Formats: sequence, C-alpha cells, structure tokens
Amino acid sequence: MESFFVRYRNLIVLLVLLAAQIVGLAMQVRRTDNGLNSLDPKDSGGVRLIRLWAYALVAPPEKAIHSAKDGVVGIWQNYFDLRNVRSQNEQLKKTLDRMRLEQAALLEDARQGERLQALLGFQERYIYKTVAAQIIGSSGSDHSHVFTIDKGSNAGLKPDMAVITPMGIVGKVRDVFPGSAQVLAINDQSSGAGVILETTRIRGILRGNAQGQPQIVGILADQRIKPGEHVLTAGGDQIFPRGLPVGTVLKVMQDPNQDGFIDVIVTPSAHLNRLDEVLVITSIEPRFPPDQLQDLATSNALKSTQADSDADQALRKASEIMAERLPGLLEPNVPADQQPLNDTSTPNPMSHVPLPIKPDRFSPPAAPSTAQPDSTQPPAGTPQPQGNL
Amino acid sequence: MAVLSTNSRREMEIHHFPILVYALVPLLALVLQAWLPRLVTERFAWFDLPLVVTVYFSLSRRSPAQGALMGCALGLFEDALTHRPIGINGVAKTLVGYLAASLGVHIDVDNFTIRLLLTFLLSLLSSAMYLFVYKLVLGLAIDWNWIFELLKAVGNAAIAILLFPALDRLKIRD
Repeated sequence: MESFFVRYRNLIVLLVLLAAQIVGLAMQVRRTDNGLNSLDPKDSGGVRLIRLWAYALVAPPEKAIHSAKDGVVGIWQNYFDLRNVRSQNEQLKKTLDRMRLEQAALLEDARQGERLQALLGFQERYIYKTVAAQIIGSSGSDHSHVFTIDKGSNAGLKPDMAVITPMGIVGKVRDVFPGSAQVLAINDQSSGAGVILETTRIRGILRGNAQGQPQIVGILADQRIKPGEHVLTAGGDQIFPRGLPVGTVLKVMQDPNQDGFIDVIVTPSAHLNRLDEVLVITSIEPRFPPDQLQDLATSNALKSTQADSDADQALRKASEIMAERLPGLLEPNVPADQQPLNDTSTPNPMSHVPLPIKPDRFSPPAAPSTAQPDSTQPPAGTPQPQGNL
Repeated sequence: MAVLSTNSRREMEIHHFPILVYALVPLLALVLQAWLPRLVTERFAWFDLPLVVTVYFSLSRRSPAQGALMGCALGLFEDALTHRPIGINGVAKTLVGYLAASLGVHIDVDNFTIRLLLTFLLSLLSSAMYLFVYKLVLGLAIDWNWIFELLKAVGNAAIAILLFPALDRLKIRD
C-alpha cells in the first residue's frame, strides 16, 4: 500500500488538488430560477477568508509601490507645476467664480424641481457625502474588471456603494476589507447599472462585454439611437443616483443572441483604464449637502456683488455715451478731470453768458430774473407784433 | 534531438533556490500582476506573471507534485483578487504546474527555445482550462476572445525571455 502512494504520489496530489478545487467551485455557484447557473453574490465564510488573506498579502505591497511611485512622480510634476501656478491660479479663480454663478442657477432649478417632485410624490436623492480613494491595484485579469482602492470599512465603506469620478460613474463597491475594498467596474461582464439615453429617454442595463467595453443590453431596435448620444444613470438600481454621466454612444450593434434587440456600445465618460482617484458615495440624502449650500450662499453673495458692479458700470457707461454723443462739451486738449463736464467749480457752464455791449430787447437780462414776468409784456424772445410798420 | 534527450545528468538536475526566493518571487508576481496592467496596458492584461513563475519553478524543480501545489496556491490567490469564483485559475494553474514539471523531467528545460515554446503553449492551455472550467464545468456565461488569449500567450513568452535568465541567477550553485 505504501508503495502505491509513493509510486503515484504526484498523480494523487494532482487529483486531490483538482477535486478539492472543483468541489469548492461548485459551492460558489447556484442555479437561478431560469435554469441558468450564476455566481453566488454572497461569498461564503471560507471564500471570504481566502479573499481576506489574498488582500492582506497583496494590498500592503501595492500601497507601498503606489506611494513610492506617487512620491517620485509628485516631485517631478510639482517642479513643473510650480512654474505656471500663479497664472493658473488666477484662471482657476475666475473659472470658479463663473462656475459658482452657474451652479447657483442650477441649484435654484434643482430646488424648483425638488419642490415639483415633492408635489408629485417623488423624492430625489442627492449625493450627500463622498470618500476619496486611490486605486492601488487591479485583478490583473481580463476576465475580471475589478480594482482595489486604499479605503475600506475603516473609512465607512460598505458593499454596493457607488464609485464615481467627476467625469462619470466607475462602478460599485463589491468586497470591503478593513483597509481596502474591491470595486467592480461598469465594464465587467457581471456588472449591472440602470441607464437612460439622454435624448431618446430609452432605458436599459449597462454591463461589460468580452472586449472590456460597457454596453447597454436588452434594448429593442430603435432607429433614433445615434452615436454621440449621452448616457446617464437612470437611478432605478438603488446604487447610482439619477442623472450621473455614464458615457456616450459609440455604436449600435445587433444583439447576436436575440432577434430584434440591439447592443449599444458606450464609450465611458470616466477613463476606466487610467483611473488614479475615485469618489465613493457613502451617503445619499433627500437634501443638499452643506458644501453645496455654502456654495449657494457664496454664489448668491457673488451674484449680488456682481449686480451692483454691473449697475455702476451701466451708469458710468451712460455718462460716457452721453459725452461721446455731445462732443462739443469735451475739449480735446484738456485733461479728463478738467473737462467742463467734470469742473465742479462752475456748476452750470451755460450760466456764463457774456453781457452784450449794447443790450436790446432780445438780450438776456444781466442777471437771471427771479421776478414773475409782467403779464402785459410778452416773454423775452417772443416776437412782437409789428403793427407800426 | 539533442535537446530532447532525457538521460544526461544535467537534464535531470534539480535546481534549488533560497527559501526567500520561493516566498518572495511568487508574492512579487501576484503584486505586480495586480499593479502593472493598469499602468502599462490600456485595454487588457497581456501577461500573466503568476503563470510564468509557476512554469519556471515547475521546470526547475522537476517535481510534478510541487509544481501542482505552487500552481494551485498562485491560482487561488489570483482568483481571490478577482470577483470570480475561487478555484478557476487554481485548477488551470494546478494542471500547468503539473504538466510543466512532468515535461521538465523529460526535456532539456535550460534550452532557451524550449522554455519559450513551453511557456507559450502552457499559457494557451491555461486559458483553455479557464474557459473549460468556467463554461462547461460551472455552466456560467462568459464572452470569450481567443485573440486576447493568444496575445497573452505571446506576452508571457516575451516575459519569460527576460525573467527566466534573471531567476537562473538566483539558483543555489553546488
């Protein structure tokens, strides 16, 4: 008996390993109602333990490598960034002011929409709190578009939280560990997000294909869908808030598995293969977050300041236009502060009427008369009747 | 056929490495596999470092049981970093490690061309096993692209050209 195990030791080891893994695999798959097999979304205790070990082993070196790379790149980039930082800062301030004004208008619209929705019985939910996280690794496999972020349950992350960038949605949190978390990207074949086409208002489900591109599946053929149309989150999946950018339609293809249906290939707004930082939405509330409210207050203050400034400018412009249209009042060789219009020493320049050498009845009086004109005499300048001629 | 002779002492030689190499090289392969693809590739991972490391150590150790164990461990950890069922890569790499070590007993694995060819073929075998387990054994749906797998096999062979001589330097010399 001993010689049997010794002789077939290698083969026995192979068979035991394969059998154990196949049994383990079978326990991770379940049969769905429609008769197809699917991966059990809830990891069992053993599977989760293996994932925890793997992340405990791989995440710290990944963080170290990522930090070292960021450090070197940061030093190099900071040197170049500092050279133009002042002008960039000025431009950014101007942009920020403009954006605040625009945001104020948009927030007012959103508030109005919120009120209308409340009247209709709907309730919009706003992104209330996010946690910024850095991507430190990926699955390293084409068959699994997941990546690892450096924040976990210690930072308040939980499974099924939405992960976004300012450009668009990225995916959702899948597994959460104390110091890291696994994010399932929208271009994975097992992902799913409810989306809506912006113009045609056609709804569908977004998931990845074999080429790692997000595509909307299960849509009836529709001629109105054209490349370039924007795709937004529909908000019905209880993960992504409504209205976040997803991408743009790249092309429309016939669904090879279902007649009459099409697949809409989408170019994601977020650059999924070159992400460095993401935002995890940790809280969604039916009201605006304090930051946005503060921005709204700042925007309103800016708007009133700008309105005053605009009014001053309008007044100044009116006087300048008047001055331009009355060139006789300006002396071309006299400085601006000594122009007759600006000369405050003589309130009314037209009051200096030279006295006539030989005054007659047409001459103005030497001094402005405050007395009431004689009712028997016509007012000065009125032609007299020429009856004696 | 000189390269395929099986009786010379050199061909049957079992290479040994320091313990740290056995621990750190697979770990480094896992870490780099998780970190490098998003840094150097735009669309897909065109290499599989744990597979290359499995092939190398299996060929060097020439022990099918040890090759299978190493392939199993690396495959399981690789699976754990994905959201797929744990064991698919494990099964594929267990077989790869076993076959590489079994072949290592019979052929001259120090030959550069043979190493390259073996890595390429075992990479394709690993992909085929992955697809077999995923689609036929587990009955799960998956879109598959063989062109990517072919490119990955080429990438693995290219990495083997650089990695194998570097790892050869870490061998314990008698």
